[in-house]
Amino acid sequence: MEEPQSQKSFRNLIDPGAGFGAFVGKLGDALVKAIDRPLGYAVNWGRIFSLWPVHLETGCCSVELGAASSPRYDLERYGVLEAFGSLRQCDLIIVLGTVNRKMAPRLRLVYDQMPEPKYVIAMGACAITGGLYFDSYNVLPGVDNVLPADVHVPGCPPRPETLIQGIMLLQEKIKRDQLK
Amino acid sequence: MSSATDNSAYNNKDNDASLDVNTRSTNAQLPSRSFHVEQLEDRDRYMTLSIGPQHPGSGHMRIIVVVDGDIIVSADPDVGYVHRGEEKMSESRTFVQNVPHIERPVIHDSSNILYSYCLAVEELIGLQTPERAKYLRAILAEIDRIQYTLYWLAILGIFIGHSTMFMWATADRELFVELADMASGNRITHSYIIPGGVRNDLPDVFADKAFKFIDYFERKRLPEYHKIFYDNPLFRQRSEGVGVLSRSDAISLGVTGSVLRASGIDYDVRKREPYDIYSDIEFEVPISKAGDSFARSILPIYDIQQSINIIRQCLAKMPPSGQIRAKLQPNPRGPPGEAYRRVESGRGALGHYIVSDGTPKPYRHKMSVPSVRNLTAMPHLLKGARLADLPVIYWSLNIWPVEIER
Ligand code: SF4
Repeated sequence: MEEPQSQKSFRNLIDPGAGFGAFVGKLGDALVKAIDRPLGYAVNWGRIFSLWPVHLETGCCSVELGAASSPRYDLERYGVLEAFGSLRQCDLIIVLGTVNRKMAPRLRLVYDQMPEPKYVIAMGACAITGGLYFDSYNVLPGVDNVLPADVHVPGCPPRPETLIQGIMLLQEKIKRDQLK
Repeated sequence: MSSATDNSAYNNKDNDASLDVNTRSTNAQLPSRSFHVEQLEDRDRYMTLSIGPQHPGSGHMRIIVVVDGDIIVSADPDVGYVHRGEEKMSESRTFVQNVPHIERPVIHDSSNILYSYCLAVEELIGLQTPERAKYLRAILAEIDRIQYTLYWLAILGIFIGHSTMFMWATADRELFVELADMASGNRITHSYIIPGGVRNDLPDVFADKAFKFIDYFERKRLPEYHKIFYDNPLFRQRSEGVGVLSRSDAISLGVTGSVLRASGIDYDVRKREPYDIYSDIEFEVPISKAGDSFARSILPIYDIQQSINIIRQCLAKMPPSGQIRAKLQPNPRGPPGEAYRRVESGRGALGHYIVSDGTPKPYRHKMSVPSVRNLTAMPHLLKGARLADLPVIYWSLNIWPVEIER
């Protein structure tokens, strides 16, 4: 369909010529290449130490998350502190064990509401493969069909030390992230 | 307000065998339980709130409350977020294979939930537990009761915004977790109590360490709890006179454990139907006549005191050595029959009902758990309460949501 005259002139105003646009594009690319590494490093460094997990308890592994936040293990020194406020402040889901057929749509809903970038830790045998409940009629065989898990933390329940190691692995992974 | 079509759409989705969780779900697909509001005449006055499952004050369940301003008109617990079909799973495993998954519904009180299962299985098979094993069982059961109660207290602190309580209780809980770890080899899911006895003996240094930890906890820490938490005017204002459960209501609703004792009824399974060694051990059952959230919150702390006494007596009276496990044939089975045994857990009377048809697997296995009994009191107590009182009333009922669903 033919564009009306008024819109055409408006487009000319913001896009004065293809040659200039291409030049700006190339310049931008070169600039991004130059600052990608240092900027990416700075941004990732900021992300590593402010992981805010969602408070969503899906199974009994939540007891060990509570123990991991206790003074003896103190997850907070790694920058992990459960966010009791809004999902918009969260960037990490720790799937705390069993995901069953009623919880799975809610888990996905929570994940979809979180802003990018977001990370997922699958905690416990149940979140990895279904664990003890592999033959139960109501339990999903692992959380991988619902959420893309970054780190799997094995155990039933994992000891707090194991969870902390999983979080450190996730931090390693974030360090190597590319800026998009 | 959602319409009937939304509901039916959800139901169809539920019936569908392949639950397609990769698609985006919208709010319209979640079930609407606000039907009782739609029937009311003046329905614009009311608002339906869904508290949970993603909410700091809900645990693993959802509470659908209808509020009129600040007053709760009705509260409807919506459970099933952790339902794992334990009872059905029991039917396809042998009596011994069942041990690990039976303790999972309440992993921080795992010994007590296994205790009653083992008592029931022993009755079915006809096993005799050795004397030393009985004491070991009681020690682990009391350690678990203490660490369960401390975890529960920590969450109560979080619910009412008292983070210090969370820090103190979880830190002190580690003492008892460490004791249990030492005895059984795992922090909270011990599988220590098995049909016929216990899995392994205590290490030599256990008694010394246990006395040390218990003394420290009783002398140094417990009095402080009263100072910082129970005598705290803010906590008292939020809990005293809130959610009063009268004696007759407590009986007719069938609540159990500390909730029942807070309403003035002296009932403890360890006293009424003593199992194993509890008949030889002296302890008191603290009760209160108030029936409010404060009484329900403070009674478990007095229970901890008694548990400490029990551990001391057990360590002193225990036979120094001996068998810890009865001999079991590979796939133990008993004559056809049924058994129901119960114990006092951290939340109240907990029983297992097992029907056997003579094979090594249970024919039917039913867990009668205290959390369900205490949950029945919740809609009753929340009606007419303020919304801000919901966390205190809910958590003082001593509920562990995973156990409700099993
Ligand atoms: S992995 Fe074990 S502790 Fe964790 S949710 Fe599953 S059964 Fe519970």
